Amino acid sequence: MAAALSLCSSLTPNPHRNQTPTPFSHSRINLPFLSHSLSSLTLTSRRQPALSFAPKSTDTAAEVSLSDPEAENPVPIEADDAGPETEPAVETAEPKREEVFAVVMVGSRQYIVFPGRFIYTQRLKGANVNDKITLNKVLLVGTKTSTYIGKPIVPNTTVHAVVEEQTLDKKVIVFKYKKKKNYRRNIGHRQPITRIRITSITGYQDSPAVTLE
Amino acid sequence: MNKKEVFKLAKGFRGRAKNCIRIARERVEKALQYSYRDRRNKKRDMRSLWIQRINAGTRQHGVNYGNFMHGLMKENVQLNRKVLSELSMHEPYSFKALVDISRNAFPGNKTVIPPKKEGLAILV
Repeated sequence: MAAALSLCSSLTPNPHRNQTPTPFSHSRINLPFLSHSLSSLTLTSRRQPALSFAPKSTDTAAEVSLSDPEAENPVPIEADDAGPETEPAVETAEPKREEVFAVVMVGSRQYIVFPGRFIYTQRLKGANVNDKITLNKVLLVGTKTSTYIGKPIVPNTTVHAVVEEQTLDKKVIVFKYKKKKNYRRNIGHRQPITRIRITSITGYQDSPAVTLE
Repeated sequence: MNKKEVFKLAKGFRGRAKNCIRIARERVEKALQYSYRDRRNKKRDMRSLWIQRINAGTRQHGVNYGNFMHGLMKENVQLNRKVLSELSMHEPYSFKALVDISRNAFPGNKTVIPPKKEGLAILV
């Protein structure tokens, strides 16, 4: 069922993006706080959010390559299938990534998000390639030992991401046909999407609603 | 569309529908109509699947789907069914935390029994 989600799960083997972040002189774009909406249907795009971006002064918190706060278990007993795997070969090539996931709402759709992986979202207007993005609407954060459940969002959490690509989706043929009425319409459609790579998840440590496992 | 495109779309069809243009054109048009309809049906089917999965996951903890969602609504947790079904499959501890939150908010009926274990599951 992984295909059902818009999770494009691929651990990046590319160390360049993590270790050489783009300098702070690039404009920072923050997605404004989207209105509460139960996004029940994730496969349609109702409308694209109207973004108004205000360039922010440089953040003091570093987004990329955060130090690992949790204790690393060499063999995870809980066997979280969706957690990022720390194989020994990958560890020696890159800095160890923290094993944390978050549920974030972008474009009125919710995604489960891991640092280092990318997701496809609706086209973010005004975001150029290699722009840093902060996603504020984080609904749940989970680590190896605890879960932070937001009502509705986890306070002070941000997910930092980098825009990788602004492309069009695969072509879909919209064919409308009415029988015996000589009506047929053949239209092709490519939805504009954005691929963003998640770099880190920060700010959830002091949230009140913590549940220890 | 011209014949080349029709045959490209007719790959994998049965019998003469992939080779002969008159038959292929009919079948391809039908296939495109079905895909238009099913793009809308897919959304309904997926939601139904997510609800089934969430139901199964919560019943293991003694809560049924209706009470679970009611409790989450009361607590203003705005996770959607897609994410909840993924959590119920892959993040059991987080999901148990959600079930506990829902049970505290809305106890619901007490008569939900966890499913009976059969076969090898008895050993677990």
